[in-house]
Amino acid sequence: MTTVMLVDDSATMLMSLKSILTKAGYAVETAGHGKEALDKLGKGVKPNLIISDVNMPQMDGITFVREARKSPGLRFTPMLMLTTESEQAKRTEAKSAGATGWLVKPVAPEQLLGVIKQVLPGA
Amino acid sequence: MNPLLAQFLAEAADLLTQVDEGLLQLERTPGDPELVNEVFRAAHTFKGSSGLFDFPELTKLTHAAEDLLDAVRAGELPLDSGMTDDLLATFDLIRGWLAYVTTEERLPSTAGADAASLIVRLRAPIGGEVVREAPTLSGPQAGDVAPAWLAYFDEEWLAETAAWLRTTSSQMRFIRYAPDSGCFFRAEDPLHLIRQVPALDRLNVIEPVEWPEAADYDEYACLVAFVCATRAGMGEIQYLFRYVVDQFELVDLDGDAIQRYLSGEIEIEVEPESGTAEKQDQKPSSSTDPALLADARAVLAASLKALALNPTNTCHLISLAKAITYAAHAFGDPVEIQEPDVVTLTATVTRLLGDTAEAVEDPVRTVVPLVAADEAPAAERRADDPGGQVGSRILKVDQEKVDHLMELVGELNVAKNGLTFLAGAAEEEFGSRALARRIKDQYSGLHRIAEELQASVMDIRMLPLSVAFSRFPRLVRDLSRRLGKNIELVLEGEDTMADKDVIEALADPLVHLVRNSLDHGIETSDERLASGKPTTARITLTAVADGDAVIVEIADDGRGVDPARVRRKAYEKGLISEEELETLSDVDAVDLVFRPGFSTAEQISDLSGRGVGMDAVRASVEKLGGTVTMRSELGIGTSTRLRLPLSMAVTQVMVVSVAGQRFGIPVDLVVETVRVPVDEMNRVLHQDVVVLRGEVIPVLDLARALDMPWIPDDNRDRAILIANVGGQRVGLLVEQFHREVDVILKPMEGLLAYADEFSGTALLGDGLVLLVLNMKEVLGLAARVG
Amino acid sequence: MPLELGEGTATLIGVVTVDEVEELAGWLRATTRPKVNLRRCNHLHTGAFQALLLFRPKVSAAPTDSFLAERVLPLLARQGSEPP
Repeated sequence: MTTVMLVDDSATMLMSLKSILTKAGYAVETAGHGKEALDKLGKGVKPNLIISDVNMPQMDGITFVREARKSPGLRFTPMLMLTTESEQAKRTEAKSAGATGWLVKPVAPEQLLGVIKQVLPGA
Repeated sequence: MNPLLAQFLAEAADLLTQVDEGLLQLERTPGDPELVNEVFRAAHTFKGSSGLFDFPELTKLTHAAEDLLDAVRAGELPLDSGMTDDLLATFDLIRGWLAYVTTEERLPSTAGADAASLIVRLRAPIGGEVVREAPTLSGPQAGDVAPAWLAYFDEEWLAETAAWLRTTSSQMRFIRYAPDSGCFFRAEDPLHLIRQVPALDRLNVIEPVEWPEAADYDEYACLVAFVCATRAGMGEIQYLFRYVVDQFELVDLDGDAIQRYLSGEIEIEVEPESGTAEKQDQKPSSSTDPALLADARAVLAASLKALALNPTNTCHLISLAKAITYAAHAFGDPVEIQEPDVVTLTATVTRLLGDTAEAVEDPVRTVVPLVAADEAPAAERRADDPGGQVGSRILKVDQEKVDHLMELVGELNVAKNGLTFLAGAAEEEFGSRALARRIKDQYSGLHRIAEELQASVMDIRMLPLSVAFSRFPRLVRDLSRRLGKNIELVLEGEDTMADKDVIEALADPLVHLVRNSLDHGIETSDERLASGKPTTARITLTAVADGDAVIVEIADDGRGVDPARVRRKAYEKGLISEEELETLSDVDAVDLVFRPGFSTAEQISDLSGRGVGMDAVRASVEKLGGTVTMRSELGIGTSTRLRLPLSMAVTQVMVVSVAGQRFGIPVDLVVETVRVPVDEMNRVLHQDVVVLRGEVIPVLDLARALDMPWIPDDNRDRAILIANVGGQRVGLLVEQFHREVDVILKPMEGLLAYADEFSGTALLGDGLVLLVLNMKEVLGLAARVG
Repeated sequence: MPLELGEGTATLIGVVTVDEVEELAGWLRATTRPKVNLRRCNHLHTGAFQALLLFRPKVSAAPTDSFLAERVLPLLARQGSEPP
């Protein structure tokens, strides 16, 4: 089963994305910020895809992606950033940190599922 | 209320508090970057979540606040008290709105008007309304010049295409996609992206000029590039390639362009990028965009109002000057303001507004939609009514807090049990039967409250099974389509409630079982027709509560399990003896599929895949204190039944001891306790056994398995606990039996976390910690000790 | 498994992802006159495609996937890169 890890400090955002993904048949892991996500990844959670917010307490999304990419098990894992319309510069920064792409908030179900299909071969 | 909205309101209340506190602290310690960041983040989160609902005014207003805070965060302007006032006013207004949303589930009708003036104020210091930037994709114009890399296409095909495009006056898109060498490490797969290009007409690969030697070849460095031609629209292509804009080029060519390229007429543009760079560098000139002009006017008008208040704060003046400069720029009438003061700024603004006076009455009014007074029903609560509360119906609680509450309930139970001892002591030691009775009365009152408390805490953790079932409609639909089978999924008893932990732990076993049914259980439509079944197969997922357990059943009407085949296979794999091959009943044979080592490559198709066998399903269910059984009728179908405790919080354990140390064993597993005279113990093949009602039961020495110093006294009867582990009866030799107790099982921590022979710890009434045995592992240990 | 590596023939099955690239490249490097069976392959990661392009194994069975059969197989089959 395809597992998606969601990292966002907004419980509302997590809830909305999680419900879209669960309905589409994905297993979902969540974390409230980059540190918690790294912790979970360190404890053996092995997602097929990671979706992370940019602005978060403790550890922001770009640092998280950069750190996560260092782990051998995650070097090829697609990682998408949740950005707002105005965060153009963050997208470039995220790409160079190792992100695969981005989503624009608010995320519509078809946008989310379409992008997952685009970045996950065989999904 | 929709749960997402309820969640948003709960979160919003937290965020509003954070913003308020942060802003007030910022006033005391201006410029603290960590504080600014925190307030910004709260506003940012707010805006992000608000977009999930149809509250456009809320999104717009928080957006303006976010932009202002972002500028402050970036150090572009200092936060002055005027801005703080505006920000506080903004979040006060939002608080009022959300209180309204809490009762009415929509924003008050005055929201647009209330927000508009605040938005203008928030935006004034940062140069007015944001001008929407053109998409950064360098949008190649129709009729582009042919690039040099057309050489990677077949010339004959190019000529044909040019002719066709000319005849039909149409165009075709050409892409050059040169992934950078490290792209695999961003999880990019260029070929997978190209596969998604619609209406692909030609694809060619550009190999490296020189391949490395086989020995030096780095398979993770992307060395190839691609060119392709497609009839897909520019928009489609730009969307698909939006994550790799820096690695691809796109041109839209007509027949003439290709023809000119083929005849070598035009000099080839070596660097197409330089062309676009020049375009971007163009001096911005007077904008003709009416929206932009309106924005600029709004900024100027707002500035004029601000200036009328005669501000003296220099920072404020500088930011105003900045805003005015931006606006002037938009008019194509750039101004330079050195050392701004109220008089010169006012003069500049008046001049600019005068120059562009065409059709401007009050520019602010064009932005602020005025709401007629009678539009708002009199009965409506006022938006800023302070009486309302945001998200009062939902309390967001950390799971840890609930867990802690549960622990306290457990301790309360234990303390309460102490009263029965006290009653005993009152009667026996102090001879007061009256006091004993009063203590017992107290006890029963306390007992009732403790039980109710425990039930309500557990109730907080309960979720409906629909949470675990919700993914299956999609899963079954997708898989059945892939397998070409017609399958109807029926869900029953989704409202049945169970503990959150149980529901979460159910997820994986359920997925495995459903996949198994789909993959192995259900026949193809042809097979079904041949055996006289309806072509559409049926999988039923049922949940029912059964006392303090929940039963989940996965049933299909597929081909069923063939006991003879299972017996043969188990024998071939050495899982059963030759004798068992002959004698094993059909029911027991079906159960063999749960044996470790039974599921093999034959079972692992790309669906049920990943090598998780039925033994793993049984193991994970048993870990939860549950059981799995399978019934199957050949040709009719299979049903697998999971029985799980409704709640994992309270477990009944039987307490036993060896060498003075007490251990718990889940009561579910205990069949009976017996005392056997020493001379009735037997030994068969180095294994102690006991014969009970004609059945030979192996007996394991718990002290030896756990390596504890205890040797049974030959003069006393042996205390043997008979347990049912994985369908097998085994005896456990212990020193002493104690009572059964209800305990709150906690996972093993610290040094014992890796001790698989224990499934958890629990606190006993006398304050001692009880280790609860994981019987399966203990048996394994005993077998190894021999 | 997406890769079944035999003595002289590798069978690629389903979606061959980046995780299989290292193993495939290693096998191609070590095998003399390698052959690949692509019949049941549904997708080739660019890294796997690139390895096939470099080591040029004989394709013993063409893929049934239409994108691979129509667009990718011809790229593997032709002789060398055409000069620009």
